[in-house]
Amino acid sequence: MEPMNREVFQVSRFGRRVGTRSEGEAARAKLLEVLQALPDDGQLVVDLEGVEVLAGSFADELISKSLGLLVSGVYGDRTMVVSSPSEELTEGLSDKLTQRNLAMLCLQRPTGRKWRIVGQLADPHIETLQLIFDRGETTAKALAEILGIPPNACHQRLKRLVELRLILQDRVGASAPKTLYQFRPIL
Amino acid sequence: MQLTIAGIEETLKAVRVEGYTTLDLRSVRDVDPFGLVLLDLLMRQQDEQGERLQILRPVHPPTIRWMQAMGLFTRPGLRAPDPGVAEALQPITPIEDEGAIMDLVDRFDARLDQRYTLDDSPRFTLIRFMIELFQNIPQHSNVTGSVADAHGIAAMHDFPDGIVLAIADKGIGMRESLSLRGETFESDADALDAIVHRGLSRFVDPGRGAELMRISKMIRSWDGTLAIRTGHALFYHDPTQGGDIYDVAPFPGVQIALVIPHRVFGICESASENGRAERVDEPGEAWFNGADE
Repeated sequence: MEPMNREVFQVSRFGRRVGTRSEGEAARAKLLEVLQALPDDGQLVVDLEGVEVLAGSFADELISKSLGLLVSGVYGDRTMVVSSPSEELTEGLSDKLTQRNLAMLCLQRPTGRKWRIVGQLADPHIETLQLIFDRGETTAKALAEILGIPPNACHQRLKRLVELRLILQDRVGASAPKTLYQFRPIL
Repeated sequence: MQLTIAGIEETLKAVRVEGYTTLDLRSVRDVDPFGLVLLDLLMRQQDEQGERLQILRPVHPPTIRWMQAMGLFTRPGLRAPDPGVAEALQPITPIEDEGAIMDLVDRFDARLDQRYTLDDSPRFTLIRFMIELFQNIPQHSNVTGSVADAHGIAAMHDFPDGIVLAIADKGIGMRESLSLRGETFESDADALDAIVHRGLSRFVDPGRGAELMRISKMIRSWDGTLAIRTGHALFYHDPTQGGDIYDVAPFPGVQIALVIPHRVFGICESASENGRAERVDEPGEAWFNGADE
């Protein structure tokens, strides 16, 4: 993805320690403005650098609910990741994402490529995601072979990863009776 | 008689069940923030019901001095608190407006920070707890508007066995709050169990709730003590007895006490005397690598 399609949203603008649910709700309005202004394939990096405390309530309003909207398809193919200098800082966020059955990529730095999952994602899905990151663009067939699982099982995993905007799918052509897709990482 | 987590039930029973109109506290020496905030709410509740409680105050000088410094006897006719008494860590503080919560949390943290050098990790966890627990008062304690004054308050103090934080209100309580999601609970104990063990909230929104459940787990992992009281029910956990829900004398609202051992904050016995803490290495974190790093 071109850097120009990436926007960093600094949470520290709302304080080093955030915050209550109503403060998170107000912050979400600003985040969604930025998300909306991105091109359709743009990526928003929610950066926690400079934040000491991220309460679950604030994280739920600001990040989980925004991700919920993104996953619902309101914002096209835009993606969203979080960047956190520490795992501990995202504990409350991870709990709230889990409650909502959501997951997102967490980067160590906004421009970095080291990632982990915050929220709820089963180990087989994480394994598949890791493989897609390792290979770059790939197909379901290729992944199923490498993973040693039936194609249908692989499709189910990919469907979930696409739903969560953890990977992107591109239509690459039609081969009767199915449409062919390629899958690629969002970083 | 003790005005503590362990002893306040006796006082509540005497007034709320047995109908005592005079509380003889003259021999009291042990008071903690939980006992203090419950006594405050009890006096207010009895006043509002036109059953003013006569209090015979403790005669033990350090006890009465501390209670005054914590802001208990501040109503007309009773002595004002003495802000110069250093023993009070964080006096009783009203919690009303959600917009003021972060300032309150910062104030509590600053008082703690003045006394000790705390490890960042537990300190920030405690801040998260305070944000969640404090905002529960404006968000839940009187959401039906059926209570004249839910009177949310919090107080904090440190003792040899740990730091005690108490948060209390005399609002609608957990059972009535949960009824707003269309579920009926047979008893306060059932409602308390649903909140503490299942993470239920009055909201159907799956992102809401579960904070008390998480706090309970963390307090247990710290070998701390947790008391959550609502209506006729008390959840009590300590490292010796484990956790259970008990029937207690009825009192409106929700009252919570957390006792966090000093060692959690990196304060060791010798260190707690001079306010210096020892640092503890944080565990490593696991990251996956992106394709080109």
